[in-house]
Amino acid sequence: MSIDLLVQALLNGFGLAMVYVLVALGLTLIFSILEIINFAHGEFYMLGGYVTYYAFAVFGLNYFATLGFAILAVGLAGVVAERLIFRYLRGKTLNAFIVSLGLLWVMQASAQLSFGVLDKPVPSAFSGIVRAFGLVISVERLVVSLSAIVLIAALYLFLRWSRPGRAMRAVAQDADAAALQGVDIELVSALGFGIGCALAGGAGGLLAPVFAVSPAMGALPVVKAFIIIIIGGMGSLPGAVVGGLLLGSVEGLGSLFMGSAAVSVLGFLVVILALLVRPRGLFGGA
Amino acid sequence: MEPSRGLSAPPGRALSAPIAGLALLAAGVVALPQLTRDSYYLDVATTILMNLALTMSLRLQVSTGQLNMAHISFMGIGAYASALLVTRVGISFWAALPIAAVVAALLAFPIGGLALRVTGPYYFLITFAFSEVVRLFFNNFFVDLFGGPSGLVGIPKPSALPWFGRALTFTTKLELYTLMAALLLVTAAVLVRLEHSRFGLVASAIRQGDLLAETLGVNVFRYKLTAYVVGSLVAGVAGAFFAHSHQVLHSSDFGLEPMVLLVVFTVIGGTGSVWGPVAGTVLMTIAGELLRELHHYESLVFGAVLILTMLWAPDGLVALPGKLARRRRAGVSLAP
Repeated sequence: MSIDLLVQALLNGFGLAMVYVLVALGLTLIFSILEIINFAHGEFYMLGGYVTYYAFAVFGLNYFATLGFAILAVGLAGVVAERLIFRYLRGKTLNAFIVSLGLLWVMQASAQLSFGVLDKPVPSAFSGIVRAFGLVISVERLVVSLSAIVLIAALYLFLRWSRPGRAMRAVAQDADAAALQGVDIELVSALGFGIGCALAGGAGGLLAPVFAVSPAMGALPVVKAFIIIIIGGMGSLPGAVVGGLLLGSVEGLGSLFMGSAAVSVLGFLVVILALLVRPRGLFGGA
Repeated sequence: MEPSRGLSAPPGRALSAPIAGLALLAAGVVALPQLTRDSYYLDVATTILMNLALTMSLRLQVSTGQLNMAHISFMGIGAYASALLVTRVGISFWAALPIAAVVAALLAFPIGGLALRVTGPYYFLITFAFSEVVRLFFNNFFVDLFGGPSGLVGIPKPSALPWFGRALTFTTKLELYTLMAALLLVTAAVLVRLEHSRFGLVASAIRQGDLLAETLGVNVFRYKLTAYVVGSLVAGVAGAFFAHSHQVLHSSDFGLEPMVLLVVFTVIGGTGSVWGPVAGTVLMTIAGELLRELHHYESLVFGAVLILTMLWAPDGLVALPGKLARRRRAGVSLAP
């Protein structure tokens, strides 16, 4: 087996993994601020897909303008969901599980009723391939991966340097202490939930042309996001990126040697191993 | 996971409340076939009884503060074990049922032992990963044995049992209902007894603060593992019944979807009391059956019901009467 083939397999794995990292980052951001796991996260991803379908495929908006629109619209939907529902569930893991499950069903059923159950194809914005160093990458995948990386970098800069970003990190560390320093917890949790959902919406927009758009499209990326979070550690941004790269390389290399069913078992086995070696994930706190 | 309302009953007090609860459950189970012999109602009732065994045993695990997303996998292990013991080894259902339950319990030792090293959301996620591995295993590996994606078919109904010179058969819906009812009543009696024993008190202490329990000399891990193994034993029994009453097994019978329903039943009912899952399972199954009339709007309304119930009754349906009474005494309006 040549080195080229291995590198090519790794690249194939990494390409989509970066988008799943976006989904995972949204989940982990919401978890670190509200201490809940939002199972309806994939449905916000689905919403991003439908926004992209209507703006890009139906109304013919520019690809990047569509992406920005999807991020804003889904982020707004996230803020609404937080104000109406999730703010009452801070720290209540079990209740949040049931409620987000209910929201998942409501959103999926609404999508089926309003958009239909059939897959809606979104045309590719970019065609062709790039050849470099004996490797072949489709332009579409390249744009998708790079856009995901730009969004990840933007999130990092926002959390690291901006005032609301620092407030979010303070709430994640200790909500009570942050409140005592004058941080508006309600504002931070609405904003955090909105940004988390916006990331999922952006991921849905990025992958809409790669896969088709359908009411159930959110299931796969959320499972991948869970795997990424477990490997990387709950609430850790670098952990999610490393977890995504690990999952991407395991899946990319795994698909060289075995069928897709065995690869999916492999993903979960990596998760179990990771948790046994580092029970809180590679980058998880104590 | 959730602070509870305190210990359910002081250890010294008579067991009158739990015995009354068990008697009520038994009366309901006996009364139903007197009211109707309609096969649809018997089917729904049998499913409710089987799910009760699963949710009550899941709640035993939740009572030590951990939500086990792999609970349904032990039902699957019991189901496949019993089906294979009967069809491949050729022993009778009545021998296969306890063996299948023990197999599930034995596998619960290593799996629970590994998973219980982590807590909170990590435990939730690692048990979810375990359940997917088990489901994918049944679906993709040893297809000759487990039937693969097309399922394991040709499982016989439970064989007849000699009973004072007569043969008790288990072929009609009523007879299968009776069998599951007997299995459930035994299970419920054991679980209720456990709840009101030293074990139940310690479990409650662990749920409210496992660090405190640990510093007071409680071996928290051992209690959690015991709950895990006992719960899996019950799930194995339910699985064996499922295998021989449905006669076909698919790996998706033990996937995320049925597991999620068990969690819904348990949490909506309330995890603070041993009767919470009973209320949740019975009421939510009936609600689900009624909502079938709505066709396309079924999951939309069911989802909305879940959201509103959890926001209105965060401690579950069983905690609702007490909450309403307290509010009335305090003279507070019902608005949230």
